[in-house]
Amino acid sequence: MRWLRVVIAAGGVAVVVGASIAFAASLSSSSASIGAGTATTGRCTNTGLTVLQNLSGSSVASVTVGSIPAGCGGATLLVSVTAGATTGSGSASVPSGGGSVTVAISGTPQVTATELTDLVLIGP
Amino acid sequence: MRRGRLHALTYACLLAVAAGVAVQTGAAASLSVGSQQITPYRSCTITATPSSTTAVIDAGVSQATPTTNAGSSTTNIVSSAATANRRAYVWFDLTQCSPTIPSTATVRLATLRIYASGLPAACRTIDIFRTTATWTESAITWNNQPFGTTLNNPAQSSRTASFNVGTPSGCQNLAAGYVAGATVTSDVAAFVSGTANYGWMLRDDVEASATTRTTTFSAKNLGTLAQAPQLVITYT
Repeated sequence: MRWLRVVIAAGGVAVVVGASIAFAASLSSSSASIGAGTATTGRCTNTGLTVLQNLSGSSVASVTVGSIPAGCGGATLLVSVTAGATTGSGSASVPSGGGSVTVAISGTPQVTATELTDLVLIGP
Repeated sequence: MRRGRLHALTYACLLAVAAGVAVQTGAAASLSVGSQQITPYRSCTITATPSSTTAVIDAGVSQATPTTNAGSSTTNIVSSAATANRRAYVWFDLTQCSPTIPSTATVRLATLRIYASGLPAACRTIDIFRTTATWTESAITWNNQPFGTTLNNPAQSSRTASFNVGTPSGCQNLAAGYVAGATVTSDVAAFVSGTANYGWMLRDDVEASATTRTTTFSAKNLGTLAQAPQLVITYT
């Protein structure tokens, strides 16, 4: 049974060693925000994107965003439409070469005299 | 037994190494730095709907009926003719955008969207001029219009933008629909930063054509949402 005590002791060492490394790692990752992997590097474009509402009756069914440069290719486009008291949103991927993307809008926001459309390109 | 202890010890050491490797691998993964670009835009679309809205006003003026107001018409006509030239005025209330476009915003693109329902048989150039004096939808006439009654005034060189319209092949806008080419970014940027906003006037690039050339645009009072005048402003 003595060998069993050796195994248990060695296992204990292993746990301690592992825990020490784990603590060091967790300190390292939590002490710097870069460990989160969400650093941003500015915008993919400043160009004037075209924004076109596509209607279904009196509601905004989709939004076509155009003139997206190739530098934004592969990004995810989030679109939110606020029209008076109604809102809608949707998302789509931008083709690798840029161009235009039509995003289906849920929530059927009703067209009023003014609508606010927020666009966010995330990535590439 | 010694061999058994040795195996046990070896196993324990492997456990320790495995644990360390596992933790180190986890640490390496968590330390890897990714990056992605975040590109936000905001856009305000001002639409001439319902027909009673005051967010948009439009009216046509006609040389042939110089004292008549056509602010309640369902069409805005731009025409070049010997003695019956016609122009169109349109204004959008930027303060209706909610939230208000900040005066410090950078206007990336502003597009005037007007629906051409009737096109001339010849390809014509329509000029867009920034209006520099006030006018009202219910009172504007040919005689009291901000740019006066002189034909081909103001000069083409002062136009904000222009587009071609007409049915001949090769013309920029050769079918009914919202016209392309009516980009008014610089004007809207000026409005946002404090320049007084009196809207725009549209006229044929060469008035007083011997053959009448007419383009018909859908007006606010048509009440058709799919053809309503719009101004789309994209800014950051």
